[in-house]
Amino acid sequence: MDGKTTSKAPRNAETPVISSAWSRALSSNASWPDKEEFLDVIYWARQALGVLLGIVWGLIPLKGLLGLLLFVVINAGIIYFYCSSFQNVDEEEYGGAWELTKEGFMTSFAGFLVTWIIIYSGLYYDVEKYA
Amino acid sequence: MWADTLLIVFISICTALLGEGLTWVMVYRTEKYQKLKAEVEKQSKKLEKRKEIHGDSLDKQHKKKIEREEERLKNNNRDLSFVKMKSMFAIGFAFTALLSMFNSIFDGRVVARLPFLPLNWIQGLSHRNLPGEDFYDCSFIFLYILCTMSIRQNIQKLLGFAPSRAVSKQGNSLFGTGPAQFK
Repeated sequence: MDGKTTSKAPRNAETPVISSAWSRALSSNASWPDKEEFLDVIYWARQALGVLLGIVWGLIPLKGLLGLLLFVVINAGIIYFYCSSFQNVDEEEYGGAWELTKEGFMTSFAGFLVTWIIIYSGLYYDVEKYA
Repeated sequence: MWADTLLIVFISICTALLGEGLTWVMVYRTEKYQKLKAEVEKQSKKLEKRKEIHGDSLDKQHKKKIEREEERLKNNNRDLSFVKMKSMFAIGFAFTALLSMFNSIFDGRVVARLPFLPLNWIQGLSHRNLPGEDFYDCSFIFLYILCTMSIRQNIQKLLGFAPSRAVSKQGNSLFGTGPAQFK
C-alpha cells in the first residue's frame, strides 16, 4: 500500500511544508497523513456546529422532539457529507462510517442543548410568571 | 433568566478549570504518570497496528503475541488508574461539597425553561427540588450537568489532557468485545 502512494506522487511533491490543518480542513480532497488530526477536525467542527445549531434553534424557536431529531439528522448528515463527499476519505481507514459519525457527538449534543436552552429561555420565557 | 443560566455556565467553566488544575498538580505533572501514559500510548498504538495486520490471521503465534501485549497493556492501564485514583477521590470530595453548596443556593429556583419535554427518567433530574408539576421547568443540577459534559471535555481536549483515541479504543476493547475475537 505504501509503495502505491509513493509511486504515484513525485518525491519532491511530498517535501514541501504540509499546509496547516485549518487550510486542509477547508479545502476539498485534502490529504490527511495523520488520522488523529482529521478526527480532531471532525471533533471541533462538530462542537462548533452544535453551538451554532443551538443558537439558531433558540432564536427560531424550535421546540420539542422535532428540534432534537433535526439536530441529530443535520449534525450527522453534515459530518457524513463532509467526510465522504468533500474530503473523500476512506471510512474504513477510520473504523467505518459509524466511528466518524459518533466522533465527539455526545459533547456536541450537550453543547447544543446548553445553547438551545439558554437562548430559548432567555428570549421567550416569561420571567414574571414566577416572580 | 439570562443571569442564572450564564452564571451556571460560568460556574461550570470555573469548576472544570479547577478540576483540571487540581488534577494537573496531583497527577499530570508527576513523572510516574507521564512515564506510564507514554508507555500506554505507545503500546496501544503498537497493538492497534498489530491487530490491523494480523487481526484476521489464524496463526497461533500472532494470536499469542497479541494476547501477551494486551495483558501488558491491561497491567499498565491498571497502574495508570491507580495513579489517578488518589486525586480523583480528593477532587470528588471537593466537588461534592461545592455541588451541595450550589444546590442549596439554587434550591427551588427555576433557572431555565426547556424547549422540550424531557424523558420520564430524566425528569427526576431536570425537575429536582422544583415546585409544581410543569416538567418544562429546568433545575440547576440539570443545566449544570449538561454544561459540564460539554465544557469539561472540551477544556481537557484543549489542554491536551484528554486520553488519546488509540488508548480509549484499546481500553474499550479490553473490557468489551475485543479479546473474544482472538479466542
